[in-house]
Amino acid sequence: MTQERTPDVVARGRLACGRDTAALVDQVAEGATDRLDEHQRHCPYCQAALAEFDRLWAPVRAVSTHRPQAPDGLLDEALRRIRRIAADPEYGRIEGPRGRTRISGRVVVALARHLASRVPGVRVALSHVVAAGDGPETSLEDGPEVTAGVVGGSTVVAVTLAADFGHDLVALGARIRATVEEGIRAQTGLEPVAVLVHVDDVLL
Amino acid sequence: MISAGRRHGPDEGPPGTDDEADRWLVGRARGGDRSAYEELVRRHRDRIYRIALRMLGSPADADDVAQEVVIQLWTALAGFGGTSAFTTWLYRVVVNRCLNHRRAQRSHRELEDTDHPRVPGPERRVLAGEELQAGLAAISALPEEQRVPLVLVQLEGLSYRQAAAVTKTTEATVRGRLARARATLMAEMKDWT
Repeated sequence: MTQERTPDVVARGRLACGRDTAALVDQVAEGATDRLDEHQRHCPYCQAALAEFDRLWAPVRAVSTHRPQAPDGLLDEALRRIRRIAADPEYGRIEGPRGRTRISGRVVVALARHLASRVPGVRVALSHVVAAGDGPETSLEDGPEVTAGVVGGSTVVAVTLAADFGHDLVALGARIRATVEEGIRAQTGLEPVAVLVHVDDVLL
Repeated sequence: MISAGRRHGPDEGPPGTDDEADRWLVGRARGGDRSAYEELVRRHRDRIYRIALRMLGSPADADDVAQEVVIQLWTALAGFGGTSAFTTWLYRVVVNRCLNHRRAQRSHRELEDTDHPRVPGPERRVLAGEELQAGLAAISALPEEQRVPLVLVQLEGLSYRQAAAVTKTTEATVRGRLARARATLMAEMKDWT
């Protein structure tokens, strides 16, 4: 079987059998190396070229299958610059036999968003920090995101979301309330005295 | 309220995206809702980083561009008309940022003292696998006009139509440039074993 060096073959544009090399390159690049047509099944030139192109394409395939994730914390600084929040004064306190645990309202907000977004029927839920305690009064009626007021060992959470079309929104709200209440209680020890759910949109 | 869009409509975004949810978040972010913007970033952070890495071939450069994009997008959202999928627009922003980053590097490098060899960057330690490194290096060495369609279509899985929308060219142009990119890579890989 004759095997030609790839660059020469690509540069010439045609194999000795007359086949267009660009088409063979596309065949390999599209992952169809093994799908030989009638000519290719009997042509040593095409088979050799496909095998060589496939070998040379391996690094590009490696890039294609590599699914890198943004490093932890990479975008936090950028978001902080946008947020311009220097400090979060809002904490919940849990008294225990061995001391006091302070839980930031931001933790409750993030947890509530995480819990709500995993309830079937919730397309996307938002989080937002509002001042509570000694800060400005928290407006839960107008809060269009997940907001949390944390005072002492109690917390009030409001979740605003876009739901998938086709769900019973009343039942969905009840499921979200139950999931968020249970999760916050179990994971923070804070008592969620209210979980307010606002469905802002329904998405097809 | 029920939105008019459809998750699988003809103008849908690239694979793995949720255009309707993005649109909802963009609408709120444009109204000044930072939490909506942060959620948008959370949903697309890996995509932003991945495109930058594939365009630039270096994790350190991808880090820089990803952070720049997050800040740029916040102010640029006002210019997003919503006529295309958010991800199409996002691809355009990230790709342009990468191209600008590379051009800035090139002009900066021209001022460097060429007598001092460059020290390998952290990417050498981060990227595992010779194939992956060879692939990223070869792709990042492609001319711009070939690299962009290769990243968008070959690697990101966009259709010719979507890539044409991102690059503001025609599908035929994308197709031709992609074919040239593939041929160039084949030639450049001749020493790969």
